[in-house]
Amino acid sequence: MNSERNRYNFWHQQQKIAPYLFIAPFYILFIVFMGYPLISSLIMSFYEMRGFQSRIFVGISNFTDLLRDPIFWKSLWNTTYFALGTLILQLPIALLLAILLNAKFVRGKNFLRLAFFAPVLVAGVFVAIIFNLIFDQRAGLINNEFILFGKEIGWLSEGKYVMPAVILTGVWQWAGFNMIYFLAGLQGIRQELYEAAAVDGANWWQSFVHITLPSLRPVIAFVVVVSMIGSFQLFDLPYILTNGGEPADAGSTIVMYLYKNGFQFMRLGYAATIGWVLFIIIAIISIAQLKLLGVFREE
Amino acid sequence: MRFPYDLESFPLGKGPMVMLVLFFISCLFIFAPAEEKGENLEFWIFANTHYEEYQARVPIFEAQHPDVNVKLINYGGTMHDKLLTALLSDFGAPDVVEVEITSIGRFLKGDIDEVGFVDLRPRLEAEGWMEKLVVSRFTPWSYRGKIFGIPHDLHPVVLLYRDGLFKAAGVEMTEIETWDDFIDAGKKATRDLDGDGKIDQYAVVLDNKTESDYFNLLLQRGGGFFDVDGNVVIDNEIAIETLAFFTSLFNEHKIATPVYGTWHGDPSNFAAMQDGKILSVLAPDWYVGILKSQMPQMSGKWKAIGMPAWEVGSRRTTTRGGTMVGITKQCKNPDLAWELLKFAYFDKAGLINRYETTRIIPPLKDAWDAPIYKEPDAYLGGQPLGKLFIELAPDLPPRYQNPYWSEAADLLNDAIFNAVTEKQTPREALTELAEKVRSIIAKDQERWGEGIRDEFRTE
Repeated sequence: MNSERNRYNFWHQQQKIAPYLFIAPFYILFIVFMGYPLISSLIMSFYEMRGFQSRIFVGISNFTDLLRDPIFWKSLWNTTYFALGTLILQLPIALLLAILLNAKFVRGKNFLRLAFFAPVLVAGVFVAIIFNLIFDQRAGLINNEFILFGKEIGWLSEGKYVMPAVILTGVWQWAGFNMIYFLAGLQGIRQELYEAAAVDGANWWQSFVHITLPSLRPVIAFVVVVSMIGSFQLFDLPYILTNGGEPADAGSTIVMYLYKNGFQFMRLGYAATIGWVLFIIIAIISIAQLKLLGVFREE
Repeated sequence: MRFPYDLESFPLGKGPMVMLVLFFISCLFIFAPAEEKGENLEFWIFANTHYEEYQARVPIFEAQHPDVNVKLINYGGTMHDKLLTALLSDFGAPDVVEVEITSIGRFLKGDIDEVGFVDLRPRLEAEGWMEKLVVSRFTPWSYRGKIFGIPHDLHPVVLLYRDGLFKAAGVEMTEIETWDDFIDAGKKATRDLDGDGKIDQYAVVLDNKTESDYFNLLLQRGGGFFDVDGNVVIDNEIAIETLAFFTSLFNEHKIATPVYGTWHGDPSNFAAMQDGKILSVLAPDWYVGILKSQMPQMSGKWKAIGMPAWEVGSRRTTTRGGTMVGITKQCKNPDLAWELLKFAYFDKAGLINRYETTRIIPPLKDAWDAPIYKEPDAYLGGQPLGKLFIELAPDLPPRYQNPYWSEAADLLNDAIFNAVTEKQTPREALTELAEKVRSIIAKDQERWGEGIRDEFRTE
């Protein structure tokens, strides 16, 4: 009788525990591979390495140094420049492509969708190598007689052209990817809305402004926020395209500067500081964008 | 008796229980130590050509040392980052590793006794290797009296030029002795061939975005970024004069073109060479190897001379690039690792094989007698290139290593670009650079001297 009762208790208990055991693998992995590094990098940002075996507590001086570091500001500006380029150039192009590929009169839509989407499947390193050739000052495709009439623009050798070159490469690589999100959003808009607008005498532009854009708001919010986060984490493309940020840091980005400090200069504390400052910047921008785009607004 | 209680009453039924059991079993496999037979040596490599060489040669070493397994791993360009992580975490580093010359500096930070490589000086001296090698090639791998690696190479630099195109411009390059001679020749050879007002061929291609070619000239002249004691000397008169000379090749004399693309090995640079837009380049031995493999169609069009000298009779070469092999402190059997090092770097049959595939001349002086180094080289129209490299080798300048090289080089790149594009004078650029690097070093020393030291690792 007693053993029967124990058995009941065991089952009762383990039914409570079991769900936690099942979700445990995720949390264990999260704590080991995300939580612990996060906390330790935060702690690390108040230290600096002293060679390979010890570190020195430096208080907030990593943060104050960062504010006075011209290369950090240059990298922050370059990264912001890229993010703005993404916002102003790449996303409208993506939306335009989506609208065109959603239109009834376009033929071979599936092929074109695949063609525009395909560049995102290519690894950043290869894209950078190919665009290195395309942007070449004397022999490159862009500067040749047919596109820029043989004008020798130093895309990768003159500071002011470097980030535009990176932005253009980004357009080629990611516009088609963002197009897919917009396309999905467009296909979700009810056709009756357009029909009703047409009955009321709305022209194409009026339907676009009053039906398409408002209906796409959640998709636009998502794409803008994800693109901004991706833009601020830009690393491999300019790292290869500009040979580590040359000339004179014109192609340096925040993550590139973080990498250089952490792995090339062995300043793990400073690198951790850059990482946390980047996190704060991304968090502020993302929240601001979500607010602006009305994602938090109650419908 | 039923299987422990009732399977069906296990939360969510049988399936999840099976998954849970599999999860725990797989954990056992992951954490179980691998079975080891005999001695294992792990050898990390970052260069494909080296990896191919050792893949062919390691079986010979294993045959000489039964019960030894050498595990070669080629991590490519990311190897140095992996090594850094492994040395920092005191776990997972290889026994033997090759390190590249611009990457070694970061590994020398902190106390000299805490560097992650074994000091090889006692072994090198006890076995008499120091005298057998070109001694200046130990400087990139040495710091504060310790030697952390054996040099793989000499990497002497020559002036590689398009003989036919220079001759067509009326220049006999073998008569060039000094840089002044070269400027005169360069002015004749830098030409607008089709009369459209644009220059079609430049006498020399130089990298104006990174330290590479400026540093070639600076080392040739006996300068450097750091001196043997670790002092910053990049703002001394030699360095400033050399940068002024370097910028004059672009701006005043207009005989140099910036490298096409990002560096000398860029495909667009090769394309420009093929089109005859570039008539000469400062080429280390490994660069000749790259040209041969990337542009076999240009065989016979090149010739080589020693670099033009600063003064008549002075040094006609410099050194660019390099690799060392070292033993990490995580190695459990350094004696065996040392045998592998000697096999990889001092075995004459291996060194001949290396020259055949990569054109790299070894720093081991005894090996230079081999006839292969005197053989005519078809790529250079029959000129025996190895002979030229070996003639120049004893005169190689030292290149002193420093823990701050990475930071210094990064800022030096900016200074050179600013000087060539005339945003700063050479003196301004280098003075500002030297001050920056000195203040980085001073700040660390101040912190390290006074800060609270937190030992997070104990030996």
